[in-house]
Amino acid sequence: MTCKDFEAQLGAYIDEELPAEAARDMAAHLGGCAACARAHERQLALRAAIQEQVPAFRAPDRLRASIRHAIRAEAGFAVARRLPQWRWLAAAALLVGVVAGTWRLATTRATTEVLTEEVLASHVRSLMGSHLMDVASSDQHTVKPWFNGKLDYSPSVYDLAGQGYPLVGGRLDYVANRAVAALVYGRRQHVISVFLWPTERGPTGGPPAVTRQGYHMLHWTAPDYAYWVVSDLGTADLREFSLRLQEADSAARVPQGPAPVPAIPPR
Amino acid sequence: MRPAELARFEALVLPHLDAAYTLARYLLRNEHDAQDVAQEAYLRALKYFDGFRGGDARAWLMAIVRNTCHTWYRHRSADSRAVEFDEELHSEAVGDEHPEAALLRAADREAVRRAVDALPLEFREVIILRELQGFSYQEIAEIAAIPVGTVMSRLSRARQRLERALGSAAQEQS
Repeated sequence: MTCKDFEAQLGAYIDEELPAEAARDMAAHLGGCAACARAHERQLALRAAIQEQVPAFRAPDRLRASIRHAIRAEAGFAVARRLPQWRWLAAAALLVGVVAGTWRLATTRATTEVLTEEVLASHVRSLMGSHLMDVASSDQHTVKPWFNGKLDYSPSVYDLAGQGYPLVGGRLDYVANRAVAALVYGRRQHVISVFLWPTERGPTGGPPAVTRQGYHMLHWTAPDYAYWVVSDLGTADLREFSLRLQEADSAARVPQGPAPVPAIPPR
Repeated sequence: MRPAELARFEALVLPHLDAAYTLARYLLRNEHDAQDVAQEAYLRALKYFDGFRGGDARAWLMAIVRNTCHTWYRHRSADSRAVEFDEELHSEAVGDEHPEAALLRAADREAVRRAVDALPLEFREVIILRELQGFSYQEIAEIAAIPVGTVMSRLSRARQRLERALGSAAQEQS
């Protein structure tokens, strides 16, 4: 072995990751080669410098409390999910309030607030059974073409069944004074509505994450589309769903690129 | 989730918050983002806890934190179309270091810390996992989802860069 070979193994030697025999050879070589011994010294000095200058951090107490709280809330959600009939009753009771509220609020609140309420009302209305879907299909190649001629854009539709969020269908909806595509995905007994429209033809503002009357809403703007996702699914699941959606979206945008990693929906 | 399962999660995973926060903080180089990502990672960990089959909860959590950080970066860089990490390209001298970092490191007693911050993400993570958190090459390979040989070569290249930073600082002081 040459000095170059030994030097390439110095890191592994210091990390005690060399096989016993190779480590013995290294020790013997360092005893006889001044240049490699110096390189060894330099690596030890580097390790000492890292230990001195690159400290481990202690998580702030506020973060500790916040995480503990979030975990319990999330686990609590999972318990509540076992009482689905409660949720339907709650949804029915909400509808009246949401629709009435939307009318009143439309004239008084800021545009994004109106938009948030509209999207939520649209989702809740669809759950009432009258208009959940115009096209019911788990096949993206059936759902996507269905919008042809009904909208002035062609919404991205992805099959997320493999990730646990099967496509259920799509419907034409009306938000922000324009016809928009609403896609419906499922997760266990929960329904997820995804609203999307081209950024240049509709409002792009809105809170990244809000909870209204038991429904969680996530909003983000991808390069081409503004997205709203609404469901009574737990926030963690809904974020996960949004990640999968963004992942599929970026994969579709950059077809020749390496495997895309999803974006975190903004908080 | 059953209360017993939640208690098990809290007992096994919560104690590693400092390690999770430290990794996120070095990978993201910002304490606020690190807090957000640490919390996001814990919620993901809770969700995937069913799939945790015993073993080292700390390594398991670090893999989730690391992935969450990478996700965060992809999201942030989506608009700027950041250059993909290239093992060869990024192993060149100081080509992609922040210019300020290159200026500062020579005269700075915290030269190595700054040099760590200036490393590409893929080098930074192996250094933190190894030097601060003491994971074995095998564990790092599993956390970062790369072959052990790649762990070794990335560590080696990362250290070459850090050594240069240390060498420059020493020269400046003498």
